[in-house]
Amino acid sequence: MTDMRSEYSKSLIQLGKENPNVVVLGADTTDSLKTSEFGKEFPNRFFNVGIAEANLVTMSAGLAVSGKISFASTYAIFLPGRAVDQIRNNIAYPSPPGKKGLNVKLVTSHGGLSVGPDGGSHQTIEDIAIMRVIPNFRVFIPADTVSVSKLTALMAREYGPFYMRMARSKTPLIHSDSQEFQIGKAITLRDGSDCTIAACGITVRMALEAAESLEQEGISCRVLDMFSIKPLDHEILEKAARETGCIVTTEEHNIVGGMGSAVAESVSESYPVPIKRIGAQDMFGESARDNEVPLLLEKHGITSFNIAKQVREIRSKKL
Amino acid sequence: MGLNYYQIKKNILRARKLVIKGTNAAGSGHPGGSFSMAEILGCLFNKHLKFDPNNPQWEDRDRLVLSKGHAAPGLFSNMAVAGYFPESEIETLRKFGSRLQGHPDLKCPGVEFCGGSLGTGLSYSIGIALAAKIDSKDHHVYTIIGDGESDEGQVWEAAMTASKYKVDNLTAFLDRNFIQQDSYTEKIMPLDENLEGSDISEMWKDASRWKTGDKWRSFGWNVIEIDGHRVEQIDVAITKANATKGVPTIIISRTIKGKSVEHMEDNPQWHGKSPDSDVVPIINLELDSQFMIAPSIIAGDMTNLENEIKRCVSGRADYIHLDVMDGQFVPTKTFDHNKIKELRPLTVIPFDTHLMINEPVKYVKDYVDAGSDIITVHAEVTDESSFGEIHDILKQNQVGVGFSINPDTELPEWSYKFLQSIDQLIVMSVVPGQSGQKYIEETHAKMLKLNSILKQHNFSGYIEADGGVNLENIGSVFADGARVFVGGGAIIGQQDVRSAIRDFRTAVLKSRRLGLLSKANELGGIDLVNKWIGLHVIGEKQEQLKKIAQEAGYV
Repeated sequence: MTDMRSEYSKSLIQLGKENPNVVVLGADTTDSLKTSEFGKEFPNRFFNVGIAEANLVTMSAGLAVSGKISFASTYAIFLPGRAVDQIRNNIAYPSPPGKKGLNVKLVTSHGGLSVGPDGGSHQTIEDIAIMRVIPNFRVFIPADTVSVSKLTALMAREYGPFYMRMARSKTPLIHSDSQEFQIGKAITLRDGSDCTIAACGITVRMALEAAESLEQEGISCRVLDMFSIKPLDHEILEKAARETGCIVTTEEHNIVGGMGSAVAESVSESYPVPIKRIGAQDMFGESARDNEVPLLLEKHGITSFNIAKQVREIRSKKL
Repeated sequence: MGLNYYQIKKNILRARKLVIKGTNAAGSGHPGGSFSMAEILGCLFNKHLKFDPNNPQWEDRDRLVLSKGHAAPGLFSNMAVAGYFPESEIETLRKFGSRLQGHPDLKCPGVEFCGGSLGTGLSYSIGIALAAKIDSKDHHVYTIIGDGESDEGQVWEAAMTASKYKVDNLTAFLDRNFIQQDSYTEKIMPLDENLEGSDISEMWKDASRWKTGDKWRSFGWNVIEIDGHRVEQIDVAITKANATKGVPTIIISRTIKGKSVEHMEDNPQWHGKSPDSDVVPIINLELDSQFMIAPSIIAGDMTNLENEIKRCVSGRADYIHLDVMDGQFVPTKTFDHNKIKELRPLTVIPFDTHLMINEPVKYVKDYVDAGSDIITVHAEVTDESSFGEIHDILKQNQVGVGFSINPDTELPEWSYKFLQSIDQLIVMSVVPGQSGQKYIEETHAKMLKLNSILKQHNFSGYIEADGGVNLENIGSVFADGARVFVGGGAIIGQQDVRSAIRDFRTAVLKSRRLGLLSKANELGGIDLVNKWIGLHVIGEKQEQLKKIAQEAGYV
């Protein structure tokens, strides 16, 4: 099990060494997100604006329009929701000649229900929906620390606005160090022919577990890591629809407007097949101690057990 | 290089006219807030801002962030005057396919910030300023925020942050026009204090009620408070701000929404509305009819000119007219450049130095160095060559170029070629030499003749009336075309300079209103006259206009 925030912090310091234009901003959560480490290394390129997310976002834009690569970070619940106007009007909308949006990377931690004890007020199940509707933004949900490190480097390399949401808890490794990450390209973790499970974030592990148990039953599942929610890998989804005939999506986000919605939108236009969306059931979260988080997830059906159950059921609905 | 005071004013006027043109063509837009910040932008674009319209992305340029983005017409019109794009492009404002979007947008090269959603420009500016510091660049960031948008909490988040990071390469302006979309700021969300009743002028006349400066000071900012329509005050404030290290500066500029067009002034309706086509020519005439009052201090106590300057300051004079007499060109002797140098630190009000001396070319530089903002020399003691020399010295030193003729002097033909770059023409209406003389009535006829010569040679400066101007004749002198009025005995000779100046203004205003009503009558008869009167809904204006129109037989 490894920690996404530590990986993010390590990646930032590496980027800071490679590129003097990398700047990091935080909003009184810099110890928690470990971005303060970057501040120790590069004090004049690190800004802690206090509990002021709107200011955090707009300042990042001002730095970016002046040639900096801004990484702005805090908890997921406070960034898209609290400052969506600034994200839209100060980062996404302003487009210098020949470019789309400003060079700001919003990277958040503590996404989804697995935040746990802090309760529903702190469990964002809306951020993917908010971020993917804004033009010029690209949206990533990493499944593990390898993803975090690769995607952080990728965002620094690629011009433009990105949103990346990490999980609070430690996560098992999903990808190998040699795994390549490309914008808009999902990663096939397991091939299969009877159903496709499209997952992101911490639910990728659950999808793999479900696929494994289904294999015992003779059901062959394809598992996709849909880390790039926007742009979405339409090609791989169409292929999955054609070849496996049904899709189950799973995410730590409201089923309304999240990754599952994005998949449904895509497939219904390219090759319509039955789809089942697993995620927060359009209800808010609630407190759960770390060891109770699985119970909270289970309440919303976000378990490998339920994924397997939904795969079994959806197969009967195949066209 | 910056322009002199007069040319800055001229460019501000050009920009204001473009705001009218653009919003009229668009059928919507925000002239009110464009006019309240017109002098601030004019002073920045024409004097302080480093930029290159041919290379808008020049790395070392200063950055101008218009946080109150709805005042886009004000920004675009200044950019047009500065040469970023042709002035005619303002007619594409807010139209499909235009670079001139409803709110400032990076689509238009030279625009630094996409405004529109309020309260964010200061945070953005801090980002730009911090980036400059990281890169050890010395360009400056100027940010204009509105008082309405100061309701936004983010403004105060940014205020704290700028202070924390000692962002001294950022200067903010607060365009304190006291009006937001719904009504007066002090009714919607007071920055100073609650307004009881509906007379906003009560609030901005009483400095003891202003709390906005205290707010910013308590956030750790260097605060400079000025009259935001006085170019000289803005100029000095910017210089002071740029010299202040270790803290950010905010220049709180008290302004009037819709400034310069009477029916828009202080009228919340003109926050976001465009003028109709039929009144545009009248508005343009009104903009061309801005005027200034210049008390002449030699009419006061010559043994205590310092006190006379102070009286001009408290009287809110636009200029201070300094008559320099050498006892040769005119029989009287007053003072020379040494005295002007002594007086200069007492005020930032422009010094309007009128040299009634022989061989001005020999001494003009002394008067430049003494701190004159405009220097006027006489036709009787110059010729083409010496005036050419004086002209060049003044232009190089950003001092206004003035030329004067005595009552018996016709405008010499050799001067015609200079007319388009002369900033001020003084038409003497008394024989110079002493104060207290009577206005020479023949001047009216002379002015009539002069106006056609001036028009023919593209004169675009101000005509200054000097000599015997008083409350009785000032209206007709204004109608003759004079826009600056020197007041000797009629102002400085009075006990209360402030009320004397106020009376002068009221008298000119009356004449101006008549001129505008006459224009309305000429263009659209009684209907347009009534429409024009009907636009004036604030205060007593409508009743006063009705009376003038009735007296003139227009209604």
